[in-house]
Amino acid sequence: MKQDYIKFPLHLIFHPIDAFWDIKSDQRGRLTVAFGALALTIIMMILQKQYAGFLVNYIDPRTINSIGEIATVAVPFFLWCIANWAVTTLMEGEGKFREIFLATGYSLIPIILIYVPMIIISRFMVQEETAFYYLFNSIAFFWFVLLLFIGTMTVHQYTVIKTILTMLLTLIVMGIIVFLGALVFSMLQQLYEFGYNIYRELIFRT
Amino acid sequence: MARTVKRWLVLLAAVSLLLVNAVPAAASPAPYESYNYNYWKEAVPSPDAYLPKQTISGSDLGIGEFKDPGDVNVSPSGQIYILDSGNSRIVVLDADYKLLRVIEGFMMDGSKESFNTPGGLFVDEEDRVYIADTGNSRVVVLDAEGQLVHTITKPESDILATNFQFQPLKLTVDRVGRVYVVAQGVYEGIMQFDERGQFIGYVGTNKVERDYGEYIWRMLSTKAQRAQMVLFVPTEFSNVDIDSKGFVYATNIDPGSSEPIKRLNPSGEDVLKRFGYFEVKGDIRFRNNPGPSKLIDVKVLGNGMYSVLDATQNRVFTYDDEGHLLYVYGGKGNQVGTLKTPVAMEQSGDHQLVLDRGKSNLVIYEPTRFGASVNEAVALHYQGEDTEAVHIWKEVLKLNANYDIAYIGIGKSLLMEKKNEEALGYFELGMDRKSYSVAFKRYRREMMKEHFGTFLTLAIALIFILILVRVAVKWRRRRQIDREAGLH
Repeated sequence: MKQDYIKFPLHLIFHPIDAFWDIKSDQRGRLTVAFGALALTIIMMILQKQYAGFLVNYIDPRTINSIGEIATVAVPFFLWCIANWAVTTLMEGEGKFREIFLATGYSLIPIILIYVPMIIISRFMVQEETAFYYLFNSIAFFWFVLLLFIGTMTVHQYTVIKTILTMLLTLIVMGIIVFLGALVFSMLQQLYEFGYNIYRELIFRT
Repeated sequence: MARTVKRWLVLLAAVSLLLVNAVPAAASPAPYESYNYNYWKEAVPSPDAYLPKQTISGSDLGIGEFKDPGDVNVSPSGQIYILDSGNSRIVVLDADYKLLRVIEGFMMDGSKESFNTPGGLFVDEEDRVYIADTGNSRVVVLDAEGQLVHTITKPESDILATNFQFQPLKLTVDRVGRVYVVAQGVYEGIMQFDERGQFIGYVGTNKVERDYGEYIWRMLSTKAQRAQMVLFVPTEFSNVDIDSKGFVYATNIDPGSSEPIKRLNPSGEDVLKRFGYFEVKGDIRFRNNPGPSKLIDVKVLGNGMYSVLDATQNRVFTYDDEGHLLYVYGGKGNQVGTLKTPVAMEQSGDHQLVLDRGKSNLVIYEPTRFGASVNEAVALHYQGEDTEAVHIWKEVLKLNANYDIAYIGIGKSLLMEKKNEEALGYFELGMDRKSYSVAFKRYRREMMKEHFGTFLTLAIALIFILILVRVAVKWRRRRQIDREAGLH
């Protein structure tokens, strides 16, 4: 229990190459952990907006919306997984969808670990010290990107160049998915409108 | 029967009309909406700071209607000079808005001279009147009796083009008699003349603001296309005023500028303080407006405050010396208090005057309790009397709980009294992060000093307990091992 849910994730963020390989070869990753990491990241984003100290918090409290926050983290997360899976399938990646999902989820762990103390400490900071707050937030982000990079590389058994290329392609495919989604959505809406108009017409005639 | 019913219905309608009208009539005494911007750049309704008191037109004074009046100035002794450009005359009123005299012209070289569509005027401390006589390409200086002192004509200088046309529009004069002239078609800055009328040079220049889209477009076009494009030239100044320390306040009407108001020091650098939440440029958000404010006049009010007149929405914006927007009043319209084509603004005692060319009259605004309190508090703060300002800021907050500057003012005073913890709350309400940080730093140090002893005692006690527990656990374990080994 402790081994899988606490020790292994902590081991992963410091030894990503080993640990991601363990995820792939020894089936050590847990879907619960990946989902948990996603959920905790969302919670951290919400907590940061709500509770970060006055000096670093430039959010208008009236605009805070937890549903929106969930959407802005979860939607790109799943889009990334799907797009990455789609791209790597074509590019001879060895990763399964589950592995991609696990790698992406586990990569979020540094964000959670850094955000918690930063939110608390930011409440005791003065203006000159806020630089540290921003520094650590950037560290969290770059750590996440690095883990995602190593995760993708290990899971698909890619070279460095190919990994970078794949990640860029994944971003483009994410855009395409959003575009197609919007297209389908608007078409469905028009179809619905069309059907509804016919129905109304019929009602009026009878 | 039917008739009675009808009569009753009419009566009912009349009564209901009366009731409906009664409610909004009491809502606001001003014909315009007063507002102020909050930290999030939203226009929040505010109590009126100034209310229209009366208007004065030429026929009210019995001298015939004003015709395209161009400028108004109040002399340090309190007389009001109205430049009636269309009629080429200057109307002088006393502080109670009664007619004193009319200056129609002056004597020069034994002949009677008159003005030709003059654009601006200024009255200095010795009641000398400076008139920018635009149509005659000169600045006329008259003494208190209306006698000509001298004229400033087209300057001779190497830095001026040979076909230079000298058309002064607006002017101001400093304490030693240097004249600052805004002239038509002069992009180099404000023209400065010494007390004898000699051209000294330019002060202050509006920077050319680059539009990068336009810049790229220009790079891609051919020479012939480029020749037809608009030139990037700096904008002209629209008006000038001077404060008691000799700093020249100048406005320009460049729509893209984020610094349309400048405070020029003697070497011509802009030293206006811009410490407010947003830029000092009139309206920062346009609800139904066609665009940014077009500032056409500036008036230094004293105690660091200054007002600017916006010709887009016909409003007056007043700022304090740090660049906080204090209040906004005025608006477009035909009622008393709204403006048609405002051209100049002034201050006379605690009244503010706006000259309306469209309606050919002078509108007099009177401060309300709210406006007067704000003015007083800002003045006290400017003079460093923060503790006294607090009572007035509290009064202001009773009238307008959305007034952020009042929260900051109270916070600063609390900070001076070393009440750091209370100050924190006020700074947070006023969204002043810089002062909040200062207060928090002091508060944090205070707390540390106060509680460091307790903290250290606790920490040492905790470490001691931990060591004890560890020793006890070890001792018990060894005992157990010993027991298992049968040593006991």
